[in-house]
Amino acid sequence: MAKNLVKWPVLGVALAWGLTSCQASASAPEIDLGSGPAKVGTIKANSLKGVTLTLTSWGGVFQDGQVKAASDPFAAESGATMLQDGPTEYSKVKAQVEGKNVTWDIVDTDVIWASKQCGPDGLFMDLDMTIVDTSHAPANLVGKCYIPAMQYGYVVVYNTTKYPTPPTGWVDFFDTTKFPGKRAIAGFEDIAPGVFEGALLADGVSPDKLYPLDVDRAYKKINPLRSSLIYWKTGAESEQMLESGEADMALVWSGRAYAAAKNGAKIKPVWNQALIIADALGVPKNAKNPKAAFAYLNYYLGATQQAKLSELTSYSPVHDEAKPQLDAVAKQYLTTDPQIRKQMIPSNSEWWSKNYDTELVRWLDWLKG
Amino acid sequence: MSLASEGARRRTWSTVRPLLLLLPAYALLIGVFAYPVLDSMWRSVTEPTAGWGNYAWALGSSGNLAVIGRTFGNALFATMVCVVLGFPFAYLMVISAPRTRAILIAITLVPFWTSLMIRTFAWIVILQDRGIVNSLLAGIGLGPLELLRTNTGVLIGLAHVLMPFMILPLYATMNSIDLRLIMAARSLGASPFSAFWRIFVPLSVPGLAAGSLLVFIQALGFYITPALLGSPADSMLAQSIYSQVNGLLAWGRGGALGVILLTVTLVLLGAVALLIRIGHRRDVSVGIPGQ
Repeated sequence: MAKNLVKWPVLGVALAWGLTSCQASASAPEIDLGSGPAKVGTIKANSLKGVTLTLTSWGGVFQDGQVKAASDPFAAESGATMLQDGPTEYSKVKAQVEGKNVTWDIVDTDVIWASKQCGPDGLFMDLDMTIVDTSHAPANLVGKCYIPAMQYGYVVVYNTTKYPTPPTGWVDFFDTTKFPGKRAIAGFEDIAPGVFEGALLADGVSPDKLYPLDVDRAYKKINPLRSSLIYWKTGAESEQMLESGEADMALVWSGRAYAAAKNGAKIKPVWNQALIIADALGVPKNAKNPKAAFAYLNYYLGATQQAKLSELTSYSPVHDEAKPQLDAVAKQYLTTDPQIRKQMIPSNSEWWSKNYDTELVRWLDWLKG
Repeated sequence: MSLASEGARRRTWSTVRPLLLLLPAYALLIGVFAYPVLDSMWRSVTEPTAGWGNYAWALGSSGNLAVIGRTFGNALFATMVCVVLGFPFAYLMVISAPRTRAILIAITLVPFWTSLMIRTFAWIVILQDRGIVNSLLAGIGLGPLELLRTNTGVLIGLAHVLMPFMILPLYATMNSIDLRLIMAARSLGASPFSAFWRIFVPLSVPGLAAGSLLVFIQALGFYITPALLGSPADSMLAQSIYSQVNGLLAWGRGGALGVILLTVTLVLLGAVALLIRIGHRRDVSVGIPGQ
C-alpha cells in the first residue's frame, strides 16, 4: 500500500510530461487548398476534413450572424469543424500567443487594435495573400494582418418621444441647454473613434482637418458634458439603455441601434457626420492551423456570405458586390447605402493605432473622474 | 534490516501518509492559485522593465490612490451595513419559533444560492431611473433619486450580495449561546438591555468577527457589482486591475495593483487575528464563563 502511494506522484509527473511533449510535437496536418490564385468566397470541397477551427467574436446578434453566414456553410463545404467562443478579450489573445497555446484560430477585434498587432511585435500573423483574396474588400479596411469583419457606423441615436425637434448633429449632442437629458457613450477598456471626433466637429473643426486629432481641445469640449454622461460597457448594455429609455441620446454601434429599434425602442439615427468604422478578423501567431484559418477569412469575405451577414445583423457588407435584402428598419442603418454614406465621415485608424496606448491611458484616467 | 529502523520507518509513514492525502488539494492550489499569484508578483517587478516602476506608478498617481481609498472605504461601509442589518436578523433567527426561523433561513439562503450576476442585474432593474424604487418615490411625489451608476448603487449591491456571509456565521455563533445565561443575568438583577449587551453581545463576537472578515475581504475584490451598478468614476480596485490587464495589456501594472491589494488585505487580516487573540487571552484571564 505504502509503496503504491509513492508511485502516484511519480506517475502524475510522468503523465504531465507526456502530455506536454505530445502537444509540442503535434504539427499542423498538410492541407491541399487547390491550385491557382485565391478566389474570394470559395473553398475547395472537403479540403479541411478533420480540421477544427474556433472563431471568437463579440457575441449577440453579430456573432450569431457570422456563424450562420460564414461558419456553417464553410463547415459544410470544407468538412472542417467550426467552433465558436467569446467574447473577444485582448488579454486572452496575448496569453494564448505568449503561452504558445492558441485555441482561438480566428479572432474578431476592433480594427485599430488589429492594426497594432501587425509586424514582429504584434499578436497577429501576416495574411497569406495566396489564400486570402481581398480584391473585393474596401482597400482602406484591409491590413497586413487582418481583413474587415464588417463595416458600420458609430452613430448618435436619440429618443423620438423625448425630443420632438430632433437633434441634427454633434453640436446638438454637446448642447445640454437645447437638448437636456442623459447621453450614453462607451466607457470601458477600449478606445475608438467616436466622442473625440464628435467633440471636435461640434467645436467647429472641419471634417477634412479632423486628423491629427486635437485631443486636448476635445476634452475641453467633453468636460462640461460629464454630468449628463452615462457609460455602456457592452453592446448589449447600450441596447438596454436605449430600450429602457434610460439614455435620451446615445453614441452607439449602428447594429446595436438597429437591434434596439427592432425591439421597439423609439429611436432614430443622426447620420450627419457619423463615423465609419469596422471590425477586423485576424489569425493569432502560433495558431495551430493558419492555412485553414486564412481559408476561412477568404470564404468569409465572399459576396453571398457578406450579403447574408448584413441581412442577419444589419451591419454593412465588406464585399463591393454584396446585395443584401433588408427590411425597412435595417435599411435605415445600412451604412453602405449611398444616401447615408455621403453624410458620414471616415475615421482614421492609422492615427488611432499610433496614439492608441497614450490616449487609452488618458481616457481611463478621465473616466475614473 | 533491524527492528528499530523498521519501527522508525513505520512512524515516518504514519506521519507522511495523511500528508499524501493532501497532495491533490495542494497540486490544485499550486497550479491554479500559487503559480498565477507568483507569476503576477514576478511580472509586477519585471514588466515592462525590471524595478519598482509599477509600484511607483500605482502609489504615485492620485487617481490610483482614490481608487484604493474608495475600495477600502466601500468594503468598510458594506461591512458596517451588514453588521447593522445582519445582527438583528440573526438574533431574530435565534429567538424565533422553528417555523419562522425556517422562513428567515430561506430568506437568507435563496439569494445566497442565486447567481451573483442575476442578483446584480436585478438591482439594475430595481435601481434604474424608471425602476421600482423611483416609481414608488414618484408616486409619493419624491425623487427621482440617482441610484444606478452611482456609488450609492454600488454600496447597496455590495451589502445585499454579501449579507449572507454576515448572517450565517453570526447565526451559527448565536445559536450555540446558552440563552439561560441571559436568564441568569436577569435573575441577578440585570436589566434586559444590560443582560443583552453584557452577556449576549460579547459571546456573539466570534461570529461577528468571522462575518465581518468574510464580508470585508470579499468586498475588497468585488468586480461585477461595482462594474454594473457604478459608473467608471466609482470603480474599485478589481476594475482597475482589469483595465490594466485587459485593456492596456499592462500586466506588470495590473500585477502591482494586485500585490498591493493582497498585501493590505493580509496586513489587515493579521491585525484582526492579533486583536482576536488578545481579546481571547483577556477573556480567559478574567474568567468569563464560556459555553
